[in-house]
Amino acid sequence: MDDLELMKNAQAAVPDEAPPVRYEYEAEAEPALIITDLHIIYRTIQSQTIFKAIFKKGSQIKKFEAVKGISFTVKKGEIVGLIGKNGSGKSTLLRAVANIFKPDSGSIDTCGNTVSLMAIGVGFQKELSGKENIYLSGMLLGYSREYVESRYDEIVEFSELGDFINAPVGTYSSGMYSKLAFSITAILESDIILVDEVLSVGDINFKKKSFARLKEMIDQEDKTVLIVSHNNDTIRNLCNRAIWIHNGVFKMDGDANTVVDAYEVFMEAEAEKKRLAKKKEAAAIKG
Amino acid sequence: MRLFFSNLKKYKGYLGYAPVSILKTEVANTYLNWLWWFLEPLLFMLTYTLVASFIFNQKIRFFPLFVFVGLNTWNYFDRCVKRGVVMMRHYKGIVTKTYVPKYIFALVQMALEGIKIAISYLLLIPMMLIWKVPLTWHILECIPLFLVLLIISFAGCTIMLHFGVFISDLEKTVQVILRLIFYLTGIFYDIGANKRLAKEHPFAQTLLMKVNPVACIMNGLRNCLLYGDDPEKTVDWLWVGIWAVIGLLLCTLGIHLIHKYEAGYAKVS
Repeated sequence: MDDLELMKNAQAAVPDEAPPVRYEYEAEAEPALIITDLHIIYRTIQSQTIFKAIFKKGSQIKKFEAVKGISFTVKKGEIVGLIGKNGSGKSTLLRAVANIFKPDSGSIDTCGNTVSLMAIGVGFQKELSGKENIYLSGMLLGYSREYVESRYDEIVEFSELGDFINAPVGTYSSGMYSKLAFSITAILESDIILVDEVLSVGDINFKKKSFARLKEMIDQEDKTVLIVSHNNDTIRNLCNRAIWIHNGVFKMDGDANTVVDAYEVFMEAEAEKKRLAKKKEAAAIKG
Repeated sequence: MRLFFSNLKKYKGYLGYAPVSILKTEVANTYLNWLWWFLEPLLFMLTYTLVASFIFNQKIRFFPLFVFVGLNTWNYFDRCVKRGVVMMRHYKGIVTKTYVPKYIFALVQMALEGIKIAISYLLLIPMMLIWKVPLTWHILECIPLFLVLLIISFAGCTIMLHFGVFISDLEKTVQVILRLIFYLTGIFYDIGANKRLAKEHPFAQTLLMKVNPVACIMNGLRNCLLYGDDPEKTVDWLWVGIWAVIGLLLCTLGIHLIHKYEAGYAKVS
């Protein structure tokens, strides 16, 4: 199937019914991450009062299936971009790989690799200083205190926080907060790095530095990276493979440029459809 | 339970570092720093002693120390349980970004309060010498009693941690219930020495002393630390043992609830 055909498919097909395009996986390559028939149901549980909990019958749980039977394998050293419109299940998928959400069915095998999620605002304890949060975050990510200590200076230098590192995180601006979060996960490397929209952090210089650091990490052959980004250029520049997820369903998997091209065409078609529908609606109101 | 112990091993670094960091921050944010850890129980002891001795005319031997032991024991249990209710709200930033078995936060809280209670009990040593409390080998009995207190507090903290996620007004309800138990626990009066209660409502007296685990442990601690020379004041090992078993079962329930439902905690709105 050539690129043009893929693009035509993407444009013409009704998304949920289009047959998924699979990436040809080299059987002999060493896998780093195997995802099999993954289903994640998002349960929005409204917390309730004691009275309601005791006397009100019926479930307070609203279910929404964010990931619907996705399967793919990532080989060691691959840089995979996850694309799809908002709410398509990309971040949920990353969080499941990071073990924050447990799959409702299916499996995630990280093949014994360590995993860390780079997301805007890695959880901090706001009353504690940046320094203490570096140690605590590092240890929560599974690193020893000695290892965090050995990389501490590098993290502080990368974060550009200077003396503010000893101030409580609660006093930081949102930019400082995000810089520290990015620096921790960028310096404390793991085998599988999950990147969730963090390349828009900080000022222009920090953005450039973050991008360069990510590129440096990616260039190491043994690092496996999954990137979620709405910036298609980021996916084209950093990834050698892309997976397109649409409404929780696997849509297309292949070379990054090919998949992003197909995705862009599809999104444009979607936008055009919406424009036409709005026009019709406006005409109907006028008429 | 195997998973619980493997997680303890995995997060031992965090468990060691987090309570000390939080304590250091608490200290840094106050004028009197660590002095508050001594001052707080001391001032409350003086308040209750004053009220109970002069207004209610309490005639209990070593009364200020009696109050001090009671207050510290109660505070440990009370703070662990109350904090358990709001635990996930407090750590929401972390649990939505990183996977951590949630009982690790309960253990951090217990360690934090444990350091404070240990410092308070250090203060008890010179106080026992000043009041000339007879030192007997019964003092060693406090070790298993503290252990049962830890078990009961962990059970309370983990169970509250779970239900606190789903029930919005649990915090206020728990506060009211704990305040009721506080007055029924005999922090500044001796339930066992209340003759009217023994005569008119002996069953209620037994209930208050034994069915309330904190009262049971508290009485045991007072008897072994302060009244080791009095053969009538001994630790009720039968009930302490019963509470140890119930506590362990409740701990298992708390851990099980967290293992089963923690994946959903991050999704509660």
